[in-house]
Amino acid sequence: MVNVGIFGATGMTVVPVATDENGNIDVADLEAKAVQHADDLAALMVTYPSTHGVFEESIEQVCQIIHDHGGQVYLDGANMNAQVGLSRPGDYGADVCHLNLHKTFCIPHGGGGPGVGPICAAAHLVPHLPDLQPDVEADSGMVSAAPWGSTSILPISYAYIAMMGPDGLLEASRLSILNANYMAARLDPHFPVLYRGANGRVAHECIIDVRDYKDVADAEDIAKRLIDYGFHAPTMSWPVAGTLMIEPTESESLAEIDRFCDALISIREEIRAIQNGDADAEDNVLKNAPHTAMAVTSDEWSHPYSRQQAAYPAPWSVATKFWPTVGRVDNAFGDRNLQCACPPMSAYA
Amino acid sequence: MDFAQRHNGPDAVETDKMLTTVGVSSLGDLIDQTVPEAIRFDGELDLPTALDEVEVLSDLRELAESNVVMRSMIGQGYYDTLTPTVILRNILEDPGWYTAYTPYQAEIAQGRMQALLNFQTMVADLTGTELSNASLLDEATAAAEAMTMARRLKGRSSTASTFVASDACHPQTLAVLATRAEPLGINLVIGSIDDASFDEDTFGVLVQYPDTRGVVSDHAALAQRAHDAGALVVAATDLLACTMLTPPGEWGADIVVGSSQRFGVPLGAGGPHAAFLATATANARNLPGRLISVSKDPAGNPALRMALQTREQHIRRDSATSNICTAQVLLAVIASMYGVYHGPEGITAIGERVHGHARAFGEAAVASGYTLEGETFFDTVTLVAGDGLDQLVAKALGAGFNLRAHGDGAVGIAFDETTTADDLHALTKALFGREPTGPTNDTLGSFRRSSQFMTHPVFNSYRSETEMLRYITALRNKDLSLTHSMIALGSCTMKLNATTEMIPITWEGFGRIHPFAPADQQSGYAELVDRLERWLAEITGFAGTSLQPNAGSQGEYAGLLTIAAYHRANGQGQRNVCIIPTSAHGTNPASAVMAGMTVVPVATDENGNIDVADLEAKAVQHADDLAALMVTYPSTHGVFEESIEQVCQIIHDHGGQVYLDGANMNAQVGLSRPGDYGADVCHLNLHKTFCIPHGGGGPGVGPICAAAHLVPHLPDLQPDVEADSGMVSAAPWGSTSILPISYAYIAMMGPDGLLEASRLSILNANYMAARLDPHFPVLYRGANGRVAHECIIDVRDYKDVADAEDIAKRLIDYGFHAPTMSWPVAGTLMIEPTESESLAEIDRFCDALISIREEIRAIQNGDADAEDNVLKNAPHTAMAVTSDEWSHPYSRQQAAYPAPWSVATKFWPTVGRVDNAFGDRNLQCACPPMSAYA
Repeated sequence: MVNVGIFGATGMTVVPVATDENGNIDVADLEAKAVQHADDLAALMVTYPSTHGVFEESIEQVCQIIHDHGGQVYLDGANMNAQVGLSRPGDYGADVCHLNLHKTFCIPHGGGGPGVGPICAAAHLVPHLPDLQPDVEADSGMVSAAPWGSTSILPISYAYIAMMGPDGLLEASRLSILNANYMAARLDPHFPVLYRGANGRVAHECIIDVRDYKDVADAEDIAKRLIDYGFHAPTMSWPVAGTLMIEPTESESLAEIDRFCDALISIREEIRAIQNGDADAEDNVLKNAPHTAMAVTSDEWSHPYSRQQAAYPAPWSVATKFWPTVGRVDNAFGDRNLQCACPPMSAYA
Repeated sequence: MDFAQRHNGPDAVETDKMLTTVGVSSLGDLIDQTVPEAIRFDGELDLPTALDEVEVLSDLRELAESNVVMRSMIGQGYYDTLTPTVILRNILEDPGWYTAYTPYQAEIAQGRMQALLNFQTMVADLTGTELSNASLLDEATAAAEAMTMARRLKGRSSTASTFVASDACHPQTLAVLATRAEPLGINLVIGSIDDASFDEDTFGVLVQYPDTRGVVSDHAALAQRAHDAGALVVAATDLLACTMLTPPGEWGADIVVGSSQRFGVPLGAGGPHAAFLATATANARNLPGRLISVSKDPAGNPALRMALQTREQHIRRDSATSNICTAQVLLAVIASMYGVYHGPEGITAIGERVHGHARAFGEAAVASGYTLEGETFFDTVTLVAGDGLDQLVAKALGAGFNLRAHGDGAVGIAFDETTTADDLHALTKALFGREPTGPTNDTLGSFRRSSQFMTHPVFNSYRSETEMLRYITALRNKDLSLTHSMIALGSCTMKLNATTEMIPITWEGFGRIHPFAPADQQSGYAELVDRLERWLAEITGFAGTSLQPNAGSQGEYAGLLTIAAYHRANGQGQRNVCIIPTSAHGTNPASAVMAGMTVVPVATDENGNIDVADLEAKAVQHADDLAALMVTYPSTHGVFEESIEQVCQIIHDHGGQVYLDGANMNAQVGLSRPGDYGADVCHLNLHKTFCIPHGGGGPGVGPICAAAHLVPHLPDLQPDVEADSGMVSAAPWGSTSILPISYAYIAMMGPDGLLEASRLSILNANYMAARLDPHFPVLYRGANGRVAHECIIDVRDYKDVADAEDIAKRLIDYGFHAPTMSWPVAGTLMIEPTESESLAEIDRFCDALISIREEIRAIQNGDADAEDNVLKNAPHTAMAVTSDEWSHPYSRQQAAYPAPWSVATKFWPTVGRVDNAFGDRNLQCACPPMSAYA
């Protein structure tokens, strides 16, 4: 996978390289393309561990191939949470990487921002890092309006690193990997884990394959049903369409991780009931999820499942009930009928 | 925009609409019709012009920075502590926690009651007792409550009247005990506890453990001697010490008191802090203060509620176990969350570290030639008076440390959670010129605690901040507060607690001051106190103020003591009769009894006003022994009684003083002043009229303002057991750190804003009276048919169909907290909107009540069942309305969404109507085992 949109902005031409059947970079294909573009190869963008949640064994070889053909290696550091203290991009061949301070380094996500995405570079690239002063003639001009970007939230990541220290940061990475592998172990019998590393382990995240059930319930149905259990869904349909990607992080306790696994496993049983014909193929708890309070208290209830099954799918979910305030939103309607400012009050009557 | 426009709800357009409904042409006319002309304050309050929010923060910043934050190692009951930031941000700084009321409506208060149950469990465990209450006001008043509780436990037939107190108790505790004992005829004997002898006249003894000099002594033999003499043992203790020492409950203490301040609550120059009283379950019915217990709801789920309310002043009045009403809930919640977050091993580790520092220091002191008092200590080392000691305090001061200079020349040093290794080194270097070495001897010996505590899962489950945050949030989400909807509790004045008012209280300059730090370190507070005292005196028309009482009930008590001291000073010490209208708040008679007065009730007439003829008759009857009248104005019935001047005159003519209960001050500020129309002293509730948030049941502040002739008799600022007007709270300025809230409010409103707030509070109440009267008659009105800032609606006509409680519970289904139920008139509802509510919100509340009236009508008509109806089954939980079976004759929608406009503001109660009777019969006041929740 490559970040196509970014390339458009920097004026580079994107050349894709395939992944093999194990979800790893197809090294042969990469080699071929590097050779083909030996004169005009600028860079490779690689995410490590991969977006599939795997520490690909080939990373050093991949970097070497690029270097051999005149290119530089850009490492997407979005998955840094599995690496801190365990491996360093600069050590295994990357030339520059970005970090997401609003991921690995604790800046809160803010509902959609702010984020901070610093880049760290090898010595030969440092002179070419963005300028700190506005200069329209600059060779490496500013990329943001302010010299240090979103300066006032840098203390968050500073404090995190300062309070964890080297030992704490290492332990966090180790626990993030443990938490993901624990979830993979609990979930695999119900939803197969799609990709694993050479020894059968995942990194700090894993993809569970729900495509087998897509005739009954797809990834979106499962995501919406998780809301009835009081959870936000995992990443839907990326990087692999129709799957769910799960990253617990080191901050979640066993109790919470178990609750989430219990929810997914319970949903698997709800799917099974549909597969068995014990539940209707259309009028079921997944297709109608999420269920609002208004919906489950309606005077008429014609669904073949009960209100309790809709709203309180498991006894342990009662104490942590979170009500969605609207039912499943009609995305297609919304794009066809664009309304992008506050509707008049009459719309709420 | 002026702050007043942010504080007040109705704008000019809304005000006009409301005036039209009320049927008056201007707000001025309404006020003229409401406040009797004879007592009208026509001037302008002499207060500074309003500041805006930026200016007031700058002003308070200056005051805070005039205080000097030192490393205060004074001890004496107050120890610096670290408030976990997750608790600071998500409880102390969260209006979802601090704008809630006392949990009378249990179904929408399960969150804070769970935190209080945790508090009770934690305190009972740590103190080695079975049951703790849900907070008292401070350690000193808790000790005084324990003293009177011990006397009650002796039984009515006992004439024992001696209470022995160790002279090694904290001085402020002894001072408050002395104040409390004298009017009750208790013979308080203070002396060395080792020599104390007990006879059949002794009903109790108080020891401090560890004592005020830090010494840990074995009191088991003393306890035995006391018990042999038929006396009860009260121990004032330290919760952190209890992690490492055998707790008082295990060596014979019958009642244990103390403060939970050092569990994460800032020093705050004395408060607010949650104190506690713990004892055996068998003593529950004599316990003072709030008690949370586990009962059940109609579905059989565990449901928390306030237990054994028949002990309390709102039920038992002059027979109550205590006059306490508002307690210290928010601070108890914080302390309990500290326990949840650290857990028993975390708190013990803090204790070990504190003890280790104290030992290391002690060894350095001994190595430098000093002598330590006592053989065993926990956190406090006291150096026996001797050569060179007088310079130690100064040397420490120079190095940034406050030590405790005892009157006899001894010097005390108390270590706490915030003491770092660097602090220890700096202090030891400064005092002794040497480095501390690692502590060698474990001096605790046989004192070391062996029993476990805080074993309940709640104290062992939330160690990560993520888990803690979710636990705090889950509890908060169960509770209705001003963040959701208006809380129109009559006489509670649930107005805006503005963010700007709240911000300064957690500044270090206000929070990290020890109450007994040198005066020159508290000049910021001194200036703030001085200004606030003058402003409150100006507002009430009096000459002086005491900010020491830390609740309205304590203000009443202090005011009556002031009057009693005045009478004594005039050779009229025989005056001990207190006339109190039957409509008074329960704290009034309870406080009068505590002040050693005899309560003589005076009736109200059919219009709900004081029966002046009856008053005259009683004043004449008691002309020789009349001490005081306690009067609430405007009355508890929401009326500016025309007779107030005459009433005050009658009392004065017969040698009495007039105490004015200022709970209803919100209708008066800028319009009338107690001092002008005949009162001699009044209290104010800063947690009502002056914006200190209610905290879910406290903190409160109840200052008294007094006329010039009473000012010399206001409570002392220094502990003195011999004082004529002794201290009523442990700290000189009471709950000092929340005074900036009221200061900021007055500063930002200015005289014009305060007047406008009063006018709008009266308009809002009259508007509601106008809208509601056709459906629920307004019970009492003033001479011109107007109500003051609150009104009583009469629902008694419907009580065969639905009573006040049914209506209160049904209001929850509409997303509202009920008005005050059945007080001051049984079976009615008292409504006070305050000036902060907008017309839209007030209309929603009226609409809800009117809709409920229609629901009642349907039952009266037979269109709805007499038993199985929306009122009798209220409140309806989400679980109930989504049940698979629904057999009610009304629909789920009718149950949960009674009106279309209530949908957007739906607040779900987490339990159904709590079974109070079951809860009192089956007392469960600590966290149930996890199996109860299965």
